[in-house]
Amino acid sequence: METTTLNLKDSYYYKQWQSLIQNEGLVIENLDDITETFGIYEDDKLIATGSYFENVLKYLAIDPDYQGGNIFNKLVSTLINELAAQNIFHVFVFTKPQYKKSFSYLGFNLIAETEYSALLETGDYSIDQYIAELPRISGKNISAIVMNANPFTLGHRYLVEQAAQKSDSVYVFVVNQDASLFKTSERLDLIKQGTADLDNVQVVSGGQYMVSFVTFPSYFIKSCSEVATYQTQLDAKVFKRIASALKITKRFVGSEPYSPTTEIYNQSLQKVLPPEVELEILDRKAIDQDIISATKVRQAIQANDLATVQKYVPETTYKFIKDNIKTLIGRIHDGN
Amino acid sequence: MEIKHTALAGTLESSDIQFTLSKGTGVEINLNSQVEKQFGKQIRKVITDLLAEYDIKNVTVRAVDKGALDCTIKARLIAAIQRATDTQNQPNWEVLG
Amino acid sequence: MERLRRTMMFVPGNNPAMIKDAGIYGADSIMFDLEDSVSLTEKDTARMLVFEALQNVDYGNSELVVRINGLDTDMGKADIYAMVKAGVEVIRLPKTETPEDVVETEKVIEEAEKYFGIEVGRTHMMAAIESAGGVLNAPAIAKASDRLIGIALGAEDYVTMMKTRRYPDGAELSFARNMILHGARAAGIAAFDTVYSDVDNTEGFNHEVEIIHELGFDGKSVINPRQIPLVNAIYAPTEKEIRNAKDVLNAIEEAHKKGSGVISLRGKMVDKPVVARAQRTMALAKASHLVDEEGNIYAE
Repeated sequence: METTTLNLKDSYYYKQWQSLIQNEGLVIENLDDITETFGIYEDDKLIATGSYFENVLKYLAIDPDYQGGNIFNKLVSTLINELAAQNIFHVFVFTKPQYKKSFSYLGFNLIAETEYSALLETGDYSIDQYIAELPRISGKNISAIVMNANPFTLGHRYLVEQAAQKSDSVYVFVVNQDASLFKTSERLDLIKQGTADLDNVQVVSGGQYMVSFVTFPSYFIKSCSEVATYQTQLDAKVFKRIASALKITKRFVGSEPYSPTTEIYNQSLQKVLPPEVELEILDRKAIDQDIISATKVRQAIQANDLATVQKYVPETTYKFIKDNIKTLIGRIHDGN
Repeated sequence: MEIKHTALAGTLESSDIQFTLSKGTGVEINLNSQVEKQFGKQIRKVITDLLAEYDIKNVTVRAVDKGALDCTIKARLIAAIQRATDTQNQPNWEVLG
Repeated sequence: MERLRRTMMFVPGNNPAMIKDAGIYGADSIMFDLEDSVSLTEKDTARMLVFEALQNVDYGNSELVVRINGLDTDMGKADIYAMVKAGVEVIRLPKTETPEDVVETEKVIEEAEKYFGIEVGRTHMMAAIESAGGVLNAPAIAKASDRLIGIALGAEDYVTMMKTRRYPDGAELSFARNMILHGARAAGIAAFDTVYSDVDNTEGFNHEVEIIHELGFDGKSVINPRQIPLVNAIYAPTEKEIRNAKDVLNAIEEAHKKGSGVISLRGKMVDKPVVARAQRTMALAKASHLVDEEGNIYAE
């Protein structure tokens, strides 16, 4: 038995891998969401495979003749050791609910599950630690908004204002994934600056637990709507766990006329969050019937059209964009 | 000795044990073992004794045991300590007595 | 008397399950590997696994050997220190090219023995020869240190370097095997043959063992416990050989009783090599359970 890396760009290995993955009933979405793939061979036969993307294990499959033995442990161990060699010690796995027990035997802890999927984690960090590190706010009606804010616009500002008016305190969770034009630290700063006048708003990082490569990869990588549905339901479950710890009883989201993925996300939230957490969908703010969106802001940046940018964003965001317009355009050209 | 950074040693295969050591306050041991009932106490003792020998007072230890012998537990923990303190190829021979 | 080394079982140094069970298969020697079977990122932890196992696991009568990483790597020195401290019987050098490689390693072993207050010379060595240059230097390598108990052929790298591969008839290894065997015999140490990696091919394995048995090798490297009884069966002496050996040993005893310095059997002088062969035959017969402790043939 031999463990080796698999080069999926070579059609010989890809075919072996594909047939094993499909036997397991897994849907191959997009090879861009794989960093590295390992295979275990018995003679010339591929009997098990597993991949990772960043710190998430995925596409784990074992030939039915070899299941239930040590192969599963060997596979997961190989992946964990490879990540450890890269100094990555906090590892997630997104899997079918029937495998959660196998993973828990290997030291993984369940974060959340739905009827389609389960999310588990292991290593030197955990959702409990994330929750413990969040600031606690008092008040009866605590609400939350999760936003990427790429960048923070007047539309986002409107959403936060509405939430701040309708509740005693508001957590704004910022998507913590560097996969957007604006870096995580920049997005976080612009939200903080743009809401500094609102006393009952607390801006915090969403860690890896909210709309991340872990909970909701389809947000960043194109995939079919079925995949998005089970991912978003899981993301909503994770949110619910955090909400319960922080006594959050309401979540605000903006209506989504443009993005089908976000629309699916809102539907999943509606299905999963109540009754413990109420979902309120707010209409998006428009200026002269022109709905404000971060996409339009990014398009204006690309066109070096600062006048349009200024129309859609608060002064704080505008200043940042104006000061950094060259860098931002450069990033767009580099494919970010 | 101080833990400099998180380190992992060992595997999840049968007869092995996987250790993850990270910075902590005091000694905290999280043990996941299918033989916890029969051997949990013994495994913990091997771990705490060895940490004491290395004079490690602040560490969070995560251990996933797959039925390792005591000598395997010791070996994997020593390797994890060496990795967490950047001393892989300079073993502490005094402790390894 | 010289020890039997029919089988040397390779055990990957990073596999606790195999390390734990290595003693139960009756290999004459067990070789724990810190070198090629261990990935670069696992070298340090494999070293500690073997270090602990050597001191804590009961391996019965098996001779314990550790293949270290060469001194040209970051790991070599720490490997030697750890294994000397753990009290290993034999340290195996990988990829030996010259007698100087042996001398260099011996220096570090001696340094380690002194450092730990261990009797100097207690740790034995063997050298694996895995290249064309090494094969040509085999006679000199075999005589490079009194600590050497044997030299071994490692054919995987060798055949690649020779621009060939392994073949069933073994012609590609014939020169290397003979060089190593002659080097070992001239130095009075053991000669080990290389591994046979197709563990499911019993016929091919047996054929290869027959070849090396015929040449005169002490034994073969094995990578799977299933190969051990196969080697032992081929190395088991025939009844005729045992009977002859018994006759030789009886003749010695008779000569001793008579106080005669000259040993003869059926009118012929029995000289040293014949005695040595008879002793080895009886040892093999005992190990194969063909005779009891007193040397009586079970079949009788």
